[in-house]
Amino acid sequence: MTLMIRPDSWNLPVLLHVAGAMALVASITVVSVVLVQGWRADDPGTAATLQRYGARTLLFAALPSYFVMRGAAEWALSRENLTNSKANWIGIGFAVADFGGLLLLIAVIIANIGSRRSREGGMSALTKAATAISVLLVIAYIVAIWAMTSKPS
Amino acid sequence: MSYTTLLFLHVLSAFVMVTAVGMYVAIAVAVRGERHAAPALALAPVAGLLWAVGGLAVIVFGIWLALHVGQYSLTDGWIIAAIVLWVIGSGLGGRISAGYRRARADGGMSLDSATLTLTLLLVLTVVVILIDMIYKPGAS
Repeated sequence: MTLMIRPDSWNLPVLLHVAGAMALVASITVVSVVLVQGWRADDPGTAATLQRYGARTLLFAALPSYFVMRGAAEWALSRENLTNSKANWIGIGFAVADFGGLLLLIAVIIANIGSRRSREGGMSALTKAATAISVLLVIAYIVAIWAMTSKPS
Repeated sequence: MSYTTLLFLHVLSAFVMVTAVGMYVAIAVAVRGERHAAPALALAPVAGLLWAVGGLAVIVFGIWLALHVGQYSLTDGWIIAAIVLWVIGSGLGGRISAGYRRARADGGMSLDSATLTLTLLLVLTVVVILIDMIYKPGAS
């Protein structure tokens, strides 16, 4: 049976988890759109500006949001006594969060190195790789949203 | 449509809506630096589209969900509050989109203070909607 009303003590960790996840998805989507526009820009100056903008959004918005989402997920699981659960939806959530976290960290590093290297020379190969990772993360997070709401057993 | 499918579509729409808000905030932050203003404002049409699609879908699937689940009623206080906040958010989003369109038409060098204030109010509205959805005050 699906639980629709939670005990009050679960609400704060769930709120922080969902808010962190929303901020993470929003910032990664912003990064994807910005970097794709930078990739397509004809003017090297515009491309350099957009990749710097994307790299900073990854560092100052996506990464902190990830830590809020991931930390609150652990808190929510402990409140719900699901820390040792083998449920599929929790497994999918962990897989996307942890593997996605590694990809996010790689994207933050290479996008910031790429934006420093390129200056006014257009989009660097490193930033193009960060763009691909960002788009992949958006897709992975949609799968995670499906798992968190549908809770496949 | 099953409860889980409706819930997935409702939550996914909410994520799309919040992504639009995130994009509005990113534009507002970027426009403060003259160099980033024009490229940042190029995101405004994408943000406007996400806001329209996410905003419409979230209310449609939200009401559908409230009608589908016997435990909920459209006259529940927390659902009425969410609908009122959604209407306020829609009005703010529409005015923000218009503000960004004006800024783009002016060459993207500045954003009026009213649009910045509305963007902050929209963030606040969305946060209150999220709190309402998680805590469901008054639900039994």
